[in-house]
Amino acid sequence: MEKIREEIKEKARQALASKEVDVILAWEKGELWYDSYPAFFTKEKDIDSLVWDSFCVNNLSKYLLEYTMTDKKIGVFVKGCDALAFNQLVQDNRVSRDKVVLYGLPCSGMVDPDKVRTKNLNQGLTEIKKSKDKLIFITKDKEITVPAHEVYYDKCLHCRYPNPVTYDQLVGETVAAEGVLDDSVRFSGVKELEELSCEERFEYWDGQFSKCIRCFACRNVCPACSCKQCTFDDSDLEVLGKAREDSEDKFFHLIRAYHVAGRCIDCGECSRVCPQDISLEKLNRKLIKDINELYGEYQAGLDPSAKAPLGTYKLEDADSFTVGEKGGKKREKNSKR
Amino acid sequence: MQRVGVFICWCGTNISNTVNIDEVMTAVENMPGVAYSKDYQYMCSEIGQNLVKDTIKEHNLNRIVVASCSPRMHESTFRKAAEAAGLNPYLLEIANIREHCSWVHKDKEAATQKAISLTRAAVAKAILNDELIPGEVGVERRALVIGGGIAGIQTALDIADAGYEVDLVEKTPSIGGKMAQLDKTFPTLDCSACILTPKMVDASMSSKINLYTYSEVEEVSGFVGNFEVAIRQKARSVDMEKCTGCGICLAKCPIKTALSEFEEGLSNRPAIYTPFPQAVPNVPVIDRETCMKFRTGRCGVCEKVCPTKAVDYDQKDQILNKKYGAIIVTTGYDLIDLDYFGEYQYMDHPDVITGLEFERLVNAAGPTGGKLIRPSDKKKPKKVVFIQCVGSRDKSDRGKSYCSKICCMYTAKHAMLLKDKYPDSEAYVFYIDVRTAGKGFEEFQRRAVENYGVNYIKGMVGKIFPTNNKLQVNGVDSLSGEILQIDADMVVLAAATKAKPEADDVARMLSISTDSDSFFSEAHPKLRPVETHCAGIYLAGACQGPKDIPETVAQASAAAVKAIGVLSKSKLVNNPCVSEVDKSICSGCLACADMCPYEAISEKIVEEKANGKIVGRRVAEVNETLCQGCGGCTVTCRPGAIDLKGFSNKQILAEVDAICR
Repeated sequence: MEKIREEIKEKARQALASKEVDVILAWEKGELWYDSYPAFFTKEKDIDSLVWDSFCVNNLSKYLLEYTMTDKKIGVFVKGCDALAFNQLVQDNRVSRDKVVLYGLPCSGMVDPDKVRTKNLNQGLTEIKKSKDKLIFITKDKEITVPAHEVYYDKCLHCRYPNPVTYDQLVGETVAAEGVLDDSVRFSGVKELEELSCEERFEYWDGQFSKCIRCFACRNVCPACSCKQCTFDDSDLEVLGKAREDSEDKFFHLIRAYHVAGRCIDCGECSRVCPQDISLEKLNRKLIKDINELYGEYQAGLDPSAKAPLGTYKLEDADSFTVGEKGGKKREKNSKR
Repeated sequence: MQRVGVFICWCGTNISNTVNIDEVMTAVENMPGVAYSKDYQYMCSEIGQNLVKDTIKEHNLNRIVVASCSPRMHESTFRKAAEAAGLNPYLLEIANIREHCSWVHKDKEAATQKAISLTRAAVAKAILNDELIPGEVGVERRALVIGGGIAGIQTALDIADAGYEVDLVEKTPSIGGKMAQLDKTFPTLDCSACILTPKMVDASMSSKINLYTYSEVEEVSGFVGNFEVAIRQKARSVDMEKCTGCGICLAKCPIKTALSEFEEGLSNRPAIYTPFPQAVPNVPVIDRETCMKFRTGRCGVCEKVCPTKAVDYDQKDQILNKKYGAIIVTTGYDLIDLDYFGEYQYMDHPDVITGLEFERLVNAAGPTGGKLIRPSDKKKPKKVVFIQCVGSRDKSDRGKSYCSKICCMYTAKHAMLLKDKYPDSEAYVFYIDVRTAGKGFEEFQRRAVENYGVNYIKGMVGKIFPTNNKLQVNGVDSLSGEILQIDADMVVLAAATKAKPEADDVARMLSISTDSDSFFSEAHPKLRPVETHCAGIYLAGACQGPKDIPETVAQASAAAVKAIGVLSKSKLVNNPCVSEVDKSICSGCLACADMCPYEAISEKIVEEKANGKIVGRRVAEVNETLCQGCGGCTVTCRPGAIDLKGFSNKQILAEVDAICR
């Protein structure tokens, strides 16, 4: 990570100098040790503050929406999950591929500040270095080594696309997937819920949704939520008022889940940003699992020219509501002669 | 301020027996927006309609709700009444308290509450109704008939007779269909070919009818008045213009191993063939799967012997793109496969045949020259057993639950034909019931029993055992309880009719519906028997359900009249309930365009000011003439940028709210 940091800066500088792009979209260090937030760079001299560290979890692809109405050329750094998001935005016609230069960044995981805090590793922290599957937390007077998976975000532990699925230029070496990629792990939370009774499931989700403070952070961070005007911002929408209302919390979450169904890239950002720890990833993964089972394996964001499974109709699509097969077995006519 | 008038219909006692009208009236009076309400025994009658018209004026009503039967039934009736009173017809709503309520419920208390809910929903929606003005669209004054059996031929002749052009598309090399295979027809025993072939010739001679035989409809798009159709003309390998139908090629073809489809596999045909001598057009086709030239590259006999050089091995399939104002589907029927009826030995014994095979065996132009002989040893059958309802009225998985309708009559006919040919023969008919509803039908069947001495046995056959050149038929006479053993020479099975195996695909292509047996569904079982739910597409013949020839011909003429009704208009009124995109909200993701089954949505670039510059932005746009108002796009659109006029998201939500209240 630290090795390619200079390479990234050099790329950004060159791109701006050669006018390959008008804007560079990357990360910048904030005031706090875990702050690495998205930043737009238009001048070469500003590139010094560009950062690439273990906290660059923010997905930059969605920030491209800021540029839909300009003819500016944008250079953007994308991790594996960000590249899927980028493709999804292209599939949804929200970003033009030809206006963007993608710099791919292989990523083996991002560090969860909460886990760092729990382990009390943040005191006097100056830098985090990576060494194979370990992370070295460096302070002024000591170095502490911990296994990386102990401090990575949960969502990074099962990452299936650590390397960008699309890019123009790759920076650094590709990395191997470190997490457990088995679908049984990915969908284990969903399977547990599926085994509950209808009443138990209702109770579970009722508990989850009633925590919602409708801050819309899940929507704002979601790369599949890219509408020009979100339906939840429609003042005429009669299903979502200002007042706290249990049923409306459910409306919000179910509508959100269905609006991203078949387009959710499963990046887990919604769960990460939720201040109330609502298990949104389970809701999304339930829909992903159902779609995979009904219409065949589909990973949103892999192919921007693919057709969304829920938005198109194919003759071989599952007809789970049709009872039985029509007609009998065919044998060649008059085969007896 | 909307002033809603609510009219509650009793529908005689159809509604009022199950729904307490007084209670509904009391509830309606208290509904928000209702300015006037009235109940009447028959709202659709002239008096009822006048009541609606008069009160619109008297009470200055600007929204109307009629709580009555299904809108399919009388929406247009009441829309006309509203229009006559000066109201835009789309300001009227129907609350369906008959089909959706009184007809399906028994509990009067609950049904009354449901009727109130449905009416309240209609009132809530009506308040949000907007005036809609339908547009106009031209009509392509030409019809397409799919299927060249008697239904298709009759339809085409009738439409042509009215002066409109018709294209008749037939999958096989000749028109004629099943009727061409039949020997005699009930109840008059006139020869099928004698009454059919003149019609076939008329169709081919008519200047208004274009025959596309050996062709299939491949794609259909568009809408009533303006269907766009792709027809695949399969390569015949014979030039239609040059061929004189002399038949030398048929005689000289060295490969004669293919089973004749027309003869139901009872005889062979050459690789280059016309299905039957009276085929229209009388131009052979080469069956490329059988032909030696196509399989091995060697042969070419037909090309050499053809006096007009009509044989063309390089001919390719051609796609014709045509436009039509109306489409009539007349694709016919098949008999069921008998592989699950092992007890009758059909798959294993050549002397167990179907009714259709019997037709060929007694036909003078058939494989035996009209000599009724056993396929196995060419001997005359002395004792023939006819088994009815093989797969018909059979609720098990192998059969069909419906009555095939034609079998009782053709079995009586077959038995009589047998006795005519061999007066000393014996005929036995096993039946569940004999159904002879039709003009002259009962008399016909009685003649078989009384004059011809055909033995009718009410009962089923359990099993057939082939023994020493005989077929031992084991059955039971359910009237006497006697167990019967008949040593028959031949068994004729009245196999159930079924929809064509490709019917579901045809339905999908045309966007029409089928019933659970894959027969095409009519728009209304009594009042719209030849229309489909898709405007401009009509049905005739056995593709809609089992039917005999008289019924098929009647339906064919009826379908022709319906099609002529479209073709005779120079303009058609558009359905104004189409989708509309709010371009200011649209993100241009075009998920709606992928979803639209009518290809009515396309991309449009609108110019907008952003950052001080005019820039183009992609949005979706609906073509109003292509849009059928299905509403699929409105639910695909995440930000709710698309609304269906007359069924806006707000209106639907108002209905749901009203029902939940």
